[in-house]
Amino acid sequence: MPESLPIVEMVGISIAFPGVKALDEVGLRLFPGEVHTLMGENGAGKSTLIKALTGVYKIDEGEIRIAGEPRRLGGTADAQNAGVSTVYQEVNLCPNLTIGENVMLGHEVRGAAGINWRATHRAARETLAKLGLGHLNPKHSLSALPLALQQLVAISRSMVARCKVLILDEPTSSLDANEVEQLFTVIRGLRDQGVAILFVSHFLDQVYAISDRLTVLRNGRFEGEYRTSELDRADLISKMIGKDIAALKSLDAKASRRVRTDDAPLYAAKGLSRKGAIEELDIELHRGEVVGLAGLLGSGRTELARLVYGADRPDTGEVTLGGEKTEITTPAKALARRIAFSSENRRDEGIVRDLSVRENLILAVQARRGWARPLPRREQDAIVAKYIAALGVRPADPERPIRLLSGGNQQKVLLGRWLATEPDVLILDEPTRGIDVGAKAEIQEYVSDLADEGLSVLFISSEIEEVVRQSDRIIVLKDHRKIAELEGGRDVSAESIVTIIAEDGLGDPSADTAVREEATA
Amino acid sequence: MSARQRIAKALGAATVGALALGLTACGGDSGGDDLTTIGFVAVGPEGAWREANETNIQDTFTEEAGYELKYAPATNLDQKSQIDAFTSFVDEGVDVILLSATEATGWEDSLKRAQEAEIPVILLDRGIEPDDTDLYVTRIAPDNIEVSTAVADWAVSAFPDGANYFVLEGPAGVSVVNERNEGFDAVASGQPGLVKVGAQTANWSTEEAKGVVETVLKSNDNDVQFIFAQNDEMGLGAVQAVQEAGLTPGVDVKIATIDGTKNALESLAAGELSFVAEYNPLFGETALEVVEKVLDGGDVESSIVVPSATFDSPEAAETALPDRKF
Amino acid sequence: MSANAHRPAEALKGLVRRQYFWGIVAIALLLLVNLIKDPGYLAFSIGSSGNLVGNVIDILRAAAPIILIAVGMCLVVATGGIDLSVGSVMVVAGAVSMEFLSGAPDTVGSGLAAIGLVIAVSAALGAVNGVLVSVVGLQPFISTLVIMLAGRGLAKVITGGQNTAATNESFRWIANGYVLGLPVVFLLALLLALAMGFLVRRSALGLMLEAIGMDAKAARLAGVNRRALLFTVYILGGVLAGFAGVFATASVMTVDVSRTGYQLELDAILAVVIGGTSLAGGKFNITGAVVGAILIATLDKTVVFLGVSSSATPAFKAVVIVVLCLLQSERVRRAFRQRRAATARPAEREAVAA
Repeated sequence: MPESLPIVEMVGISIAFPGVKALDEVGLRLFPGEVHTLMGENGAGKSTLIKALTGVYKIDEGEIRIAGEPRRLGGTADAQNAGVSTVYQEVNLCPNLTIGENVMLGHEVRGAAGINWRATHRAARETLAKLGLGHLNPKHSLSALPLALQQLVAISRSMVARCKVLILDEPTSSLDANEVEQLFTVIRGLRDQGVAILFVSHFLDQVYAISDRLTVLRNGRFEGEYRTSELDRADLISKMIGKDIAALKSLDAKASRRVRTDDAPLYAAKGLSRKGAIEELDIELHRGEVVGLAGLLGSGRTELARLVYGADRPDTGEVTLGGEKTEITTPAKALARRIAFSSENRRDEGIVRDLSVRENLILAVQARRGWARPLPRREQDAIVAKYIAALGVRPADPERPIRLLSGGNQQKVLLGRWLATEPDVLILDEPTRGIDVGAKAEIQEYVSDLADEGLSVLFISSEIEEVVRQSDRIIVLKDHRKIAELEGGRDVSAESIVTIIAEDGLGDPSADTAVREEATA
Repeated sequence: MSARQRIAKALGAATVGALALGLTACGGDSGGDDLTTIGFVAVGPEGAWREANETNIQDTFTEEAGYELKYAPATNLDQKSQIDAFTSFVDEGVDVILLSATEATGWEDSLKRAQEAEIPVILLDRGIEPDDTDLYVTRIAPDNIEVSTAVADWAVSAFPDGANYFVLEGPAGVSVVNERNEGFDAVASGQPGLVKVGAQTANWSTEEAKGVVETVLKSNDNDVQFIFAQNDEMGLGAVQAVQEAGLTPGVDVKIATIDGTKNALESLAAGELSFVAEYNPLFGETALEVVEKVLDGGDVESSIVVPSATFDSPEAAETALPDRKF
Repeated sequence: MSANAHRPAEALKGLVRRQYFWGIVAIALLLLVNLIKDPGYLAFSIGSSGNLVGNVIDILRAAAPIILIAVGMCLVVATGGIDLSVGSVMVVAGAVSMEFLSGAPDTVGSGLAAIGLVIAVSAALGAVNGVLVSVVGLQPFISTLVIMLAGRGLAKVITGGQNTAATNESFRWIANGYVLGLPVVFLLALLLALAMGFLVRRSALGLMLEAIGMDAKAARLAGVNRRALLFTVYILGGVLAGFAGVFATASVMTVDVSRTGYQLELDAILAVVIGGTSLAGGKFNITGAVVGAILIATLDKTVVFLGVSSSATPAFKAVVIVVLCLLQSERVRRAFRQRRAATARPAEREAVAA
């Protein structure tokens, strides 16, 4: 690592929000030609620090020096002028524009008569090609792309800005292993060109694979700056959460299999299908068990979950619930029959941004009662207090708009929303995506407890390890089909599932790299 | 989809919809070969006067008389729908177009198209601005200036000691309003005793006129002796406002109106209105004569005035009421 | 208003933060302008039958129909929709009641029957909107535009194209009568607005509507029955517009098929926006819509009171509305504050130097 002068130096940064000190004298140094990781739990102040550097938040105290010069960043434009570009955690692109327009937005090639669209699209294509996305047609609409590719488009957009500092806020949270590798290739390329890269991720392996140094934050305070090679994972985690990691390891011990007590399934669907989403399959869910859905991105995991919940109307299929035939064609019907579903798309299909934590929490319960029978305020408060405490939502302020909470805490509120409906079947689609190690462990543990209490859980995660560890039974999906159903046991592992996926039909050359190791493993 | 896009899309669809409505309105079935086709670009529902006028025209140009009348009323008094109807009459190639314009301006292009297609255009009631007599054959109408002058003459004689007066106008910019103001002001401005305390539009509407007058009376401490309502409906609204202010219409405040509908004459007979100047809507016969003359290639005057009567007492109203058709 | 407003000062602060605060300021300013023209503007007197008489009373009466359609519009807008048909529903309501009353005896019974008829017809029109929006899935703009165009046509069919008048004392009393010295029509409007406010805030209707308006997808997955709610909201909007139509026609006991309710949907939308409800949907404010409606009525009355000429009236109104919207805009207010701060700073420095 070149011991030259830092390109970015943040000294003694403090930012206070009403009632909360988000950052307390935090420092950060970025050198040209290094990948620097910012570590910390959700709520530790990572996002706030990034927003201070990108000019979104004004700092109360401290100084930001870019290339040695003190800067006052009054807005994102200031930051961009100073050479700081950002790719945010949740994709921030314009879905109505084309891929090329998104890449080149604000940097369109201008000709004599305004924007030269042909040249603009050519430039977009070149930029995309550098990221190995040459197969994308820049004239196609962005919204048609899967989330993972949109993320890469967002990164190409910041490359167009020719930045000196590139901030990647959880860029990998929705990418599969192939795409992550592709991204890393690009990041290394940029680093070698002298760009300083600030990287945020919850995947420890990725952190260790890509970063040169890291800065750890905890509760809005600076915990330390380390060379990645000199800090081992256990130490890193304990610095992040401020306690010994033995507590986290206990989860592994708990992963002993539950014994199924009933023979008749609680939920059973025969021949469930929907054109373009899932081919006919059977699925059974029992009380007190966690059923995992494993498969690669796009294998039909989410589609299956949406059919079970009635979020999409199934074309065929016979559903029995508790032995009785029933039809589940809308979410309202599913909730009435005590099935709940937490969507993978927390931002668009989960939280209602402008409502408070309380309103978000009681929304599903209230919807099931109908508007004419309002939940008395006392009962609302009781429900809200119960789940804020049980799930450890921070800050524990029910009237705060949910959009002001960190991702992990939003997820906890959503989990609370579904639990408040007292479901028999709980479908969790990527409940731990994009949230920090601590919150992740808490949610995983909570899911296990729920199953122990008799709930039937359908668990979806893109991390096959996580599915394996959480589930009593695993349904393996590939290309919108069910290709296997495995009882949990010693012989079931991420590797064996990947082998099943790879050996099905012609096999998938990328499948063995598609497994991501669990961060806490 | 953003709100702006939504609105843009919707507006586009709305225009298409309005066009479609306009076209179907003036479609109608094609008549026999021996009938003369008349396209009537009409105002449509506006009030009793218009109703009488347009019914009279429709009753005159009947199939028995040798005509096929295509009646195209405006949608919500919208000029755009009138222009659309006018254009499609020209494209269809009707023999004569009758036009009662909802707005005075903006007709040049349409009239030129008709001229190129050699379709004679006869203006009924409403004039156009600028008043280029080359663009149409003739305008048949009661003379607004003459009628409003009659109101002013009556006011001069009814208030020998002078009076404060207020004018309830139709929508700003309409030729009728301008002409009715012109005729009235020409006389009234020469009378130092008649003091104008204000003028405001009530859009020909009873409800709005009532609201306007109630405020006008308060802002002048009820010191208004005369209200000139440019149509009957507004006059009737003024009556109600005057009554609610605790005054007696016809005694404390005299109200004069133009049009001469049955409702107004009843009100005059009851002593609530004080003067009603008829604006004769029944000129179907005159129109028929003009159309025949034009089709025979004869010459007509560029302006034909329809004679109108005035009613200045309850007795006069009672005499006229049994025969009132509108 | 809010539970934490313990002291008057805090309550005032809360009020200032609300969007419709500027609407109240605008009403006060307009009244002040009128007061300058005539110092007796705000005076009340006792009328012939013990009722209050005054310009303010006139404003309240004129505001009544706008209040109703604004409240209905407010709910529809909260769901992310819009209802362009309110003006046409008003004229249909007026046409139905006048046509019925012109053939009915002048009794309280027939007055009530007319109102019943209006409720039924306007609810039906609202239901058509509801079906088009929630079942057929048309854009609210288009669906209600259809009813807006068709409604006026329907009114013309009902009355045979004529402006129909009728006599019924009890029906007339709705718009012209007084209770406790105040106009019945305003009290009714206020009562209905309060009832709606109570309905949406005491039940979970308000929360559900906001959830739909803010994030339809998330609301659906949370089990919110969008279809039934939209149905309810458009029917409520229709019935409120029906009452507004009764108010407008009962005032002169005449329905004017081309003028009654004409373009009032725009007034309603304006009132809703002035009241601080975003047209994008979500959070809504019924009190604000009522304030907006009263402001529009005040503006209309001021135009007449000041004697602004007919041709200048639209421009006058536009200027007032634009200024108000600028005042409400957070960005403009901030720009003003910064300028003030910038001019204040040099002065401070001088003081230090001296």
